Amino acid sequence: MKNRLRVLRAEKNWSQAELAEKVGVSRQAIIAIENGKYDPGLPLAFKLARSFGETLEEVFIWDEPAKG
Amino acid sequence: MNNPPSVTRRSTVPLLLTLALASVIDIGAGWLLVQPHFPQSTRILIALLPVPANLVLVVLIIRTIRKLDEFLRQVHLEAVAIGFLLTGLAVFVYGYLERADAVRPLNVGIVWFFMLLFYGIGYVIAARHYR
Repeated sequence: MKNRLRVLRAEKNWSQAELAEKVGVSRQAIIAIENGKYDPGLPLAFKLARSFGETLEEVFIWDEPAKG
Repeated sequence: MNNPPSVTRRSTVPLLLTLALASVIDIGAGWLLVQPHFPQSTRILIALLPVPANLVLVVLIIRTIRKLDEFLRQVHLEAVAIGFLLTGLAVFVYGYLERADAVRPLNVGIVWFFMLLFYGIGYVIAARHYR
């Protein structure tokens, strides 16, 4: 799953620590999500999207795995 | 959709203090048990002396885990799994070496050390994986 977290955060001029504080998680969690190493659960994904004033689908992009 | 609060100094200080207290009681009980002049009933009481502080420690660790966010829980879960499996492997190998008379009988106290060591290694591996 891809996400636009880093771009949206840069637009808001928030640091990773500030975003982490806003959604109540550790900075390590934000780093892992931004790097695509960790996919958040639904509650956290919604919180992240809402913190940017966006919908879930605008922040997280589902990558359909190639068939065959 | 409230997230659990992050682990703060407020929750880690009591944990570290209890850990220090439990360690002192453990060492003290170990020292008292090698003294020859206590009757058997007293020795049993001394042997059970570390239990309350260690139970408090277990409760505090579980509370701390519950305050972690979902990502840190995943990292620590992997660290615990690696620590558990490597400790099991080490004890298993040591047991066979003991049967082969290659090593002295296992001091169970050292298992704690290996658990901590392998947990630390597991944490580094898991944290690097998600970096």
